[in-house]
Amino acid sequence: MFNLVQLFLRLSGFFVFLLLEIICFTMVVKYNQTQQGIYVNSINRGTGFLQKIGANTSYYLSLDDENYRLSRANARLLEKLYNEGIDTTSVDSTFQQNDTMQFDIQIARIINNTVNNHHNYLTLDKGTDDGASAHLGLITEDGVVGIIRKVSKRYSVAMSMLHRQMRVSAKVKGTHYPGSLIWNEDEKSTRLFTLLEVPKHAEVAEGDTVITSGFSSIFPEGVMLGTIEKINLKPGSHAFEISVKSKVDMTNLQYVYIVKNLFKKEQQELETAVVNEDE
Amino acid sequence: MNPAVLANIYRFFGLALLQGVALKSIGAGVESLRYLYIIVFPIFIILLPMRTPIPLVLLLGFLIGFFVDILYDTWGVHASAAVFTAFVRSFVFKILEPRGGYNVNLSPTAENLGFRWFFQYSAIMMFLHLFFYFSVEAFTFVYIADILLKTIVSFVASMLFLLVFQLIFKPKE
Repeated sequence: MFNLVQLFLRLSGFFVFLLLEIICFTMVVKYNQTQQGIYVNSINRGTGFLQKIGANTSYYLSLDDENYRLSRANARLLEKLYNEGIDTTSVDSTFQQNDTMQFDIQIARIINNTVNNHHNYLTLDKGTDDGASAHLGLITEDGVVGIIRKVSKRYSVAMSMLHRQMRVSAKVKGTHYPGSLIWNEDEKSTRLFTLLEVPKHAEVAEGDTVITSGFSSIFPEGVMLGTIEKINLKPGSHAFEISVKSKVDMTNLQYVYIVKNLFKKEQQELETAVVNEDE
Repeated sequence: MNPAVLANIYRFFGLALLQGVALKSIGAGVESLRYLYIIVFPIFIILLPMRTPIPLVLLLGFLIGFFVDILYDTWGVHASAAVFTAFVRSFVFKILEPRGGYNVNLSPTAENLGFRWFFQYSAIMMFLHLFFYFSVEAFTFVYIADILLKTIVSFVASMLFLLVFQLIFKPKE
């Protein structure tokens, strides 16, 4: 014990030195712009590297969960299939009728994903070779994840839901007032979104489900977006500002479904034709 | 009051004010003097009495550095260098220890320990201080050439000032 005290006394100079330097450097990075910039930059680089390692590790560790999630999704689909009375023994009859199938769904693995910026992107391992193209929607069972922006032969890059310019046409389940869902970036959360443009006479309540409206021709109608956390009405405004909490954990995504609307071209052509006619 | 304490109080304010008011603007805006800084306030740390406890040396170093920082508007940059200089002081003493050891009741001045010893001591201290200061100022070793150039140029200028200071005041305490 005495030795320990002696050691501390001998090292007291060092501890005081350490303490004072910590105070100094805290001030340096807090109140000096040049140093602060360099500090933030290098911290980001370091955490980026660690995140990459973390993502790879968690990918292996969560295979079990992922399996469970997929089989659960499978079960739900089978349930739907049986309950709607489709004859699953003759698979041909379901899938031959290509012209009545509106949405083609394909699975893709996420190989890169950012969540910390103002503009976040996802990289998928599916490209033009696999039938991916720009403006296709990405979803999971929990909700909408993003929209593909650019495609190469083997990869595609998608705008994440956590992107300043992301807008998804949405509505509150049970109503028919379409609004726009945008990322609530100021909250620094990867789960909070804001639903705009829902008129104030719409009957909505906290806890209601928000789904896609199906008006955008990218997503089918009824894809889960989240639940209502809070409903705000600014004085003088005629529309609600609804805070929506998503079920999707954007920070931990591994697989997504690419949704291809096979009727999209037809719908858009018709729409632009009418617009052109009137101009 | 003890004359040694009084001398150090004068030096504290005199050097900090000289540094933060007069020497701050040297070379400001002149491209050819970009590397020239005259940093003199470490003389205070250099001349503190030998018997000053190390934590107190560190604290005084921090205070004078912080004082200069306020005048420079560079929060913490000078202070961190001053704390570092105060910390290495005891190690520099150890390296330069004369054969008979030190008389700890004296101050480390040229009057007490000889000009040769004082010159070596203050040169090491000043160089370490300047190198640390310019490193913190740049905050990255990407510009190591710039840091070294600044250190060397400013070292020569600051040492000249220190020698002039020594010749004028001949500090004993």
